[in-house]
Amino acid sequence: MLNTVTLAADIKAPSMNYEALAPMLIVFGAGCASVLVEAFAPRAARHIVQTVLTLVALIAGFVALLFVDRDGLKTAADAIAIDTTGLFLQGTILVLGLVSVLLIAERSLTPGGEFVAHAAVAPGSTDDKKLTASVYSQTEVFPLTLFAIAGMMLFVTANDLLVMFVALEVFSLPLYLLCGLARRRRLLSQEAALKYFLLGAFASAFFLYGVALMYGYAGAVDFASIHNAVQADRGDETLLLMGLAMLIIGLLFKAGLAPFHSWTPDVYQGAPTPVTAFMSACTKIAAFGGILRLLYVGFGELKDDWRPLLIGVAILTMLVGSILAVTQQDLKRLLAYSSIANAGFLLTGALAMNKEGVSSTLFYLVAYGFTTLGAFAVVMLVRDADGEATHLKRWAGLGRRSPIIAAVMTFFMLAFAGIPLTSGFTSKFAVFSAALAGDAVSPVIVGVIASMILAFPYLRLVVLMYVTEPGESGADVHVPGAFTSAALTLGVVATLLLGVAPQPLLDLAEQASQFVR
Amino acid sequence: MSTALAFADAVHAHAADLAAPANEVKGGEKVAFWILAPIALGGAIGMVLARNAIHSALFLVCTMLSLGVFYVINAGPFLGMVQIIVYTGAIMILFLFVLMLVGRDSSDSIVEQLRGQRLAAALLGIGLAAMVATGVARAFDDTRVVGLGRATQDGNVPALAARLFTRYVFAFEVTSALLITAALGAMVLAFVERSKKDQMTQRQRSRERVSADSYPAPKPGPGVYATSDSVATPALLPDGTTTDKSVSKVVQTHELDAATTKAKG
Repeated sequence: MLNTVTLAADIKAPSMNYEALAPMLIVFGAGCASVLVEAFAPRAARHIVQTVLTLVALIAGFVALLFVDRDGLKTAADAIAIDTTGLFLQGTILVLGLVSVLLIAERSLTPGGEFVAHAAVAPGSTDDKKLTASVYSQTEVFPLTLFAIAGMMLFVTANDLLVMFVALEVFSLPLYLLCGLARRRRLLSQEAALKYFLLGAFASAFFLYGVALMYGYAGAVDFASIHNAVQADRGDETLLLMGLAMLIIGLLFKAGLAPFHSWTPDVYQGAPTPVTAFMSACTKIAAFGGILRLLYVGFGELKDDWRPLLIGVAILTMLVGSILAVTQQDLKRLLAYSSIANAGFLLTGALAMNKEGVSSTLFYLVAYGFTTLGAFAVVMLVRDADGEATHLKRWAGLGRRSPIIAAVMTFFMLAFAGIPLTSGFTSKFAVFSAALAGDAVSPVIVGVIASMILAFPYLRLVVLMYVTEPGESGADVHVPGAFTSAALTLGVVATLLLGVAPQPLLDLAEQASQFVR
Repeated sequence: MSTALAFADAVHAHAADLAAPANEVKGGEKVAFWILAPIALGGAIGMVLARNAIHSALFLVCTMLSLGVFYVINAGPFLGMVQIIVYTGAIMILFLFVLMLVGRDSSDSIVEQLRGQRLAAALLGIGLAAMVATGVARAFDDTRVVGLGRATQDGNVPALAARLFTRYVFAFEVTSALLITAALGAMVLAFVERSKKDQMTQRQRSRERVSADSYPAPKPGPGVYATSDSVATPALLPDGTTTDKSVSKVVQTHELDAATTKAKG
């Protein structure tokens, strides 16, 4: 009876294109190495070793990315699609991840940096008060960040719903943990982490159920088979539509799109600011990379079914984000609602269902990522004895005390508002014109209205900084350290360059909008 | 080795049985389903509704065991066994250990933060469940079960292994990153590192107890006044000043300001 049994020798290992996988594998490998550093390096040396290791790994990953074949290929038994869109998104995640790591590694603003010295010590206890003043912090944030970045890189190149789900978990789990590691206002941070974890797990369950239903429909979970099954109109349409709805719910949650946005303000406010910056830039890229691939590669044939629904989602998101941003009194919450509204703008571009739709969404992700990282870097600088002073009142009169920082923040606010000569203008123009070319008129009209509403909270901050008399409760502006300065400079330069001379990146995004199926 | 082969053979035979047109659910399977399905569903609902974390965990065990049996009767004996051995046997028992060690207080607030939220959530939840259930039921109404025999030609376990190491090898390996993250997270959130320097020897402790700036006698209780008897109110010394020793270090000292001293009621 031996012949009925498959032996190990009968299973042919799938071929791996290691060159194409190298960027991802480098970051995964660095994450594992970083865990070992945590175990063996002496406490005092850990921060510097981890910082160097993380930065080197991200740069090495980016260099490896430049050598990857750009013709589009599938590897690891077709589970991963390395196409130009995937490579563009991976590159963007690496670059913006690098800038976020600069903020995460910053320690000169406050002793020990933005991360808690000992997460296991109860907040507010005597030990905790002692530790807050110490120079130590949990350097585990570095391996966690590396795993999150690697997971995002896998997520945007996954060619298979199962790989996509695993990647979703790989990048979400570190984020849940990172959110709970703030050094100040620890209870708020832990609450944010728990909220994000519970809601995120709930959204993952929806995604997973969607995968199961999709398997029931197509008998496979890879995008090519699903596409073929949709084209051949095989199987039961109920399963297909229900499965697709569940998959989209999971992704809408991660991208922070209404009506699945309610976690965003609380989590953005509670999480340590560098992590908030990382989430608002990189998680958004990963989520939209996933949405683009799912909708264009897997379910492009079905666009008449999902497009009206998602147009509604985009409109709702832009309105909710912009109207609620007006009422915010806390800067981090304001930026959170702004990120919700921006997710709406991004979805408008993604719904165009043409080549410009993909390229403008890619461009928007890069432009918005740099600006939002810069804005959160400024938030890190304005502080008092209790940490960051995020209440808007504390920013009154900042322009007189610290003209340069106020000018930088003003520039970012103008970019968010979409004023010409900033990247905000070019990127909004790109997504709206792509959407118009793709006959998605209603979200464009709402988008323009939402932009006008959004200009109000941004400009209110500018007025507050320059016109309002500084109150007694004004906060200090700290001198940025080398890392924050670098991040701020990159943010300003990118926001300006992409506003003044966007063409090179637009061309690159144009070339990059090519999926393989 | 021989037992493994025999097992695989048995699986193969079983799979071949079931590979025959199996649209009708047969007698034994039907009975098992109708006994276990309510248990699985009741366990899931009980898990969410139970106030006590231990009860929740035990309800989950019920659900998982029933699911394990379902897998076995659906020609997935390996999956069923893994479900029972790994999930119910190992993971849930570890979970129970942790609950027992951490303590099983059920002190969650049942105050509704948003008015009518529970009712709305229950209605919407039931609505969604009904919609999904009818949708799935209708979609699978005339589905014929095909391809099981082909998929598990060499037996259930080898077929699973072949899938795991070919088509899904990358997903399988990337799961390790997930496990590393989970281990790292558990360390970060739960491990309190105490350096040797901070730990005092017995000798140091006893010297400390009788040293000049120590106060070995019981500390004075907090102040009891006509206006306040809170543990946060410091006691008065004979000379009219207050003493910090009377208030625990973990409690924030109450200032005896006008608002506190005002007569209440």
